[in-house]
Amino acid sequence: MHWNGKDSAVFQAQKEYIDTAVIPLIVIDGSEHGFGFAASAADYTLSLANLIENQFKGRIVLFPSFSYTTGQDKQSLLEIWKEELLKADFKYIFFITSDREWSTMGDEHDVIWTPSVPLDSMDQKMRNSVLEDQLRQLIPIFAKKWAN
Amino acid sequence: MSNNKVSRRQFLSYTLTGVGGFMAAGMLMPMVRFAIDPVLQKSEGGDFVLTEKKIADITDVPERVDFTFEQVDAWYKSDITNAAWVYKEGDQIIALSPVCKHLGCTVNWEGDPAHKNQFFCPCHNGRYEKNGENVPKTPPLGPLDQFEIRENDGFLEIGKAIPNTLV
Repeated sequence: MHWNGKDSAVFQAQKEYIDTAVIPLIVIDGSEHGFGFAASAADYTLSLANLIENQFKGRIVLFPSFSYTTGQDKQSLLEIWKEELLKADFKYIFFITSDREWSTMGDEHDVIWTPSVPLDSMDQKMRNSVLEDQLRQLIPIFAKKWAN
Repeated sequence: MSNNKVSRRQFLSYTLTGVGGFMAAGMLMPMVRFAIDPVLQKSEGGDFVLTEKKIADITDVPERVDFTFEQVDAWYKSDITNAAWVYKEGDQIIALSPVCKHLGCTVNWEGDPAHKNQFFCPCHNGRYEKNGENVPKTPPLGPLDQFEIRENDGFLEIGKAIPNTLV
């Protein structure tokens, strides 16, 4: 499900089945050397998030991305998001990112970190196959959480 | 001869009728065109999309075939990639939609190691037989949709989704 009016009506009606929120984490970097990399990583993360939504349409709600700048205290901002989403009865909350800073501290916050792949130079077919490969690796992570 | 002469009064009334007629036509034509527009629109739903899958390569094991078409959403054009599970049953080719009938997730062939020869939906453990029939006591309430298919020069073409005809 997407975060829109039509899907939210389905969500309200099917809460027992749709119990997972997915939020992409996007870092905004204004510095000269980080700008391009952060933009490319954002493109990758959002494409991957859309593919995840397509795969698990009936169980997850894909939220708009949570963007933060390099200087912000992202961990406490994350907790605020979580608190809000728990109000909507989500049992599982996943964050997905390719911001390197989460790679070491992600586990306790349910952040799934995947290294970003530069998609800009690829044609559509190549993009799809790279993203499909990534998705195949993510499916067990979701399945494991759901099984508990 | 003098009987055929056009009087001033007649001339004016002919002219006015003619001009009035044109003006009325000028106003009515666009209205009529708008009214019948839906009939003139060519339908795009039934179009077949060519895939890169050779008919000869299709086996009796369902295999994922991607196909891409252009979707126009108001002024925004985008390429949509869709997939189908394609296999051969006897000499008949079957293309099933991967969209779970429960809440729309994507199903995978043998996605669950515990259930061979079935489609599996990872969201709520829904299962389908090879022909798309939903396994009772799993969440889905109907069989997977089927795609219309045809052959084009040895390659598979996929059309629109239709209700399952195998179950």
